Amino acid sequence: MELANTLRQDGESRGGVLAHLERLETQVSKSRKKLEEPQNAQALEARIHELKRLRDKLRAEVKQRQARVKASTANVEPDQILEISEQEILERKQENMKAILQAYRFTGISGKLTSRGVCVCISTAFEGNLLDSYFVDLVMEKPLWIHHHSVPVFIPLEEISAKYLQTNTRHFLFVLWEYLNAYSGRKYQAERLQSDFAAFLVGPLQRNSLCNLLSFTYKVKPEGQSFPFCARLLYKDLTTTLPTDVTVTSQGTEALPSTWEEQRAAHENLFFTKPLHQVFTSFAKKGEKLDMSLVS
Amino acid sequence: MDETLAEFFRRTILKIPMTEMMTILKTWNFLSENQLQTVNFRQRKESIVQDLVLLCEENRASLNDAAHLDIIYTQFHRHQKIWDVFQMSKAPGDDIDLFDMEQFKSSFKKILQRALKNVTVSFRDAEENSVWIRIAWGTQYKKPNQYKPAYVVYYSQTPYAFTSSSRLKSNLPLLGQALTVASKHHQIVKMDLRSRYLDSLKAIVFKQYNQSFETHNCTTSLQEGSLGLNINMDSRIIHENKVEKERVQRVTQEIFGDYPQPRLEFAQYKLETKFKSDLNGGILAEREEPLRCLVKFSSPHLLEALKSLAPAGIADAPLSPLLTCIPNKGKNYFKIRDK
Repeated sequence: MELANTLRQDGESRGGVLAHLERLETQVSKSRKKLEEPQNAQALEARIHELKRLRDKLRAEVKQRQARVKASTANVEPDQILEISEQEILERKQENMKAILQAYRFTGISGKLTSRGVCVCISTAFEGNLLDSYFVDLVMEKPLWIHHHSVPVFIPLEEISAKYLQTNTRHFLFVLWEYLNAYSGRKYQAERLQSDFAAFLVGPLQRNSLCNLLSFTYKVKPEGQSFPFCARLLYKDLTTTLPTDVTVTSQGTEALPSTWEEQRAAHENLFFTKPLHQVFTSFAKKGEKLDMSLVS
Repeated sequence: MDETLAEFFRRTILKIPMTEMMTILKTWNFLSENQLQTVNFRQRKESIVQDLVLLCEENRASLNDAAHLDIIYTQFHRHQKIWDVFQMSKAPGDDIDLFDMEQFKSSFKKILQRALKNVTVSFRDAEENSVWIRIAWGTQYKKPNQYKPAYVVYYSQTPYAFTSSSRLKSNLPLLGQALTVASKHHQIVKMDLRSRYLDSLKAIVFKQYNQSFETHNCTTSLQEGSLGLNINMDSRIIHENKVEKERVQRVTQEIFGDYPQPRLEFAQYKLETKFKSDLNGGILAEREEPLRCLVKFSSPHLLEALKSLAPAGIADAPLSPLLTCIPNKGKNYFKIRDK
C-alpha cells in the first residue's frame, strides 16, 4: 500500500492529518465499490429477467389481439352486408310506395293526408288523354269544411257540397269528379276543333265558360266550294260530354241544294253521337274518299 | 267625321302614353300596318295624334270604333279606375245556365236602350269567356257623355260582375237590372268589396288566391322549415326569443299561407258599439247610445302589410279575425255593432 509506504518512508507524514483523512476516504470508497459491484450485477440480472418477462408478455398480447381482430373482421363483414341489403330493400319499398301513390292520380280521385285533413286531387281525362287536375283541401272537423280549392268558379261546387259534403263525402267527391271530368272533356273537344279543324270553320267558335253551349259555322270541305252549315250544340246535362240538343241550320236565305236536308239530318245525328272533333275527322276522311274517287 | 267624334278620338289617343302607342293601336286593329307606317312617330305627340285622327277619318271610323279604343285603353290602365263587385243570385228552381254571349249582349243593350233613349253600349270579348262592357250614359234629352263612361267586366256563368265606380250613381239600379236579366239571374247585390286592382278582386271572389296544394307529385317540397328566419346563419349572432319568433312565424303562415296576397288598398271598419271600460264610472261609460267611429287601414298593399305585422313585432300573433277574414269573406268594408 502506497499510503503506508509514504508514511513509513517519510517518518513524519506528508500533509499531516488531512492527508491521512484523505487516505482513509479513498479506502472507504474503494471498499464500497467492491461491495456494490456484486449487488449491481444482481440488480442488472434481475432487471434483465423482468424485461424479458415483460417482453414475452407483450408479445403474447399482440398475438392475441391480432387473432381477435382477424376473428372480428371475419364476423363483422357478413353483418354489415346484411345491414346494407336491408336498407336497400327498405329504400326500394319506399320508392315503390311513392310511385304507387303518385300513380293513384290515374284513378281520377286521389288524395294526400295533410296536417288538418286531406287534400283531394281530382284528375280528369277524355279518350285516354290525361287532362287538368283540380284540388279540394278538406279540413276534417265536424262539420267537414273546404279550406281552399282550385275548382273553377262556374262549377256548382257550393250546390254539390251543400247536398253531399256532410252526409256522404264519398258521393260528394264522385259528383264533383263527374262535373269536372265532363267539363274537361267538353273543353277538350272544343279546343281540338279550334286547333285541328280550323280550316273547316267559318268564323270563330262561340262558347261559354262551362263549354255547354257551342255555336259555330262550318263547311264539310276546307276549301271553298261546299255549303256552310250553322251548328248549335247544347249540353244541358253537365255530367256528359255529348250534347243533349243539336240544331243544324243554313246560314243564309240562298237556295239550298236538294241533298242539303239529308246532309243536315245526318250531321245532326253525328253531333249527337260522336265527340265533336271526331265528327270533323269523319268529314275530313269523307273528303279524302271523295278526292280519291275523283282521281280514279 | 263629326267634330265631336273627331275630338273624342283626339282626346282618347292623346291619353295613350307613347311607350304603349304601337301596342294599343295594334290591339285595336282598326288602322292597317301600311297606314301606321305612314305616320312619323318622331314628331311631337300632338302632331302624331293629329295624323292618326286623320287616318281614322279616312277609314270612316264610327263611335263604336272609338268606344273600342277606349275599352282597350282602360284594359291596359285598369288600375286607374276603382272597381266595385256585385253578386247575383239565381232563383232556387232555375234551369242550368246555357249562357249565350251574343244573346247576353243583345239583351243587355236592349234593356238599357229601352230605358234610356241616349246610351252608348259597346262590348269587347276578353280572356276566360269574359266580356268588357262600356256604357256612356245620356238622358232623355242629352246625348251620352263619352268622357265619363262606366265599365262592367263579366265572366260568363259566374254570379259576379265588376263595375268601375261611376260618378253617375243614379244609373246604378238600371245597370244592375240589365246585368241580372241579361245573365238570367234573379237578384243583384253590391258586395262590400272595393279596390283598384281588378285582378285581385277576381282572385278574391273566385277564391283563386290560394293555389298551393299538397300532392304526392310535387317535386318541390312545401317550405315548412324555412319560414324566412335563417337562424343558423352566423354563429356570432345570438337569437333571443327563438321559440316565440318561431311561433309567430308558424301562426302567420297558417293564417296567411305561402301565396302572394291579393292586392287591396284599404280596409274600413264602421263601429257602432257601446263604450266598454274597466274603470268604474267615467262619462263615456254611462252613455246608453252607441259610439260611432270609423277606422280605416290604408296601404299600397294592405294584406301583405298585415301579414308582416306580427313577424315585425308590431302586433301580436294571431291578428284579430276582423283583419284576417278579409279575403275569405270577400269584404273590406265592415259594420260592427253590439250583438
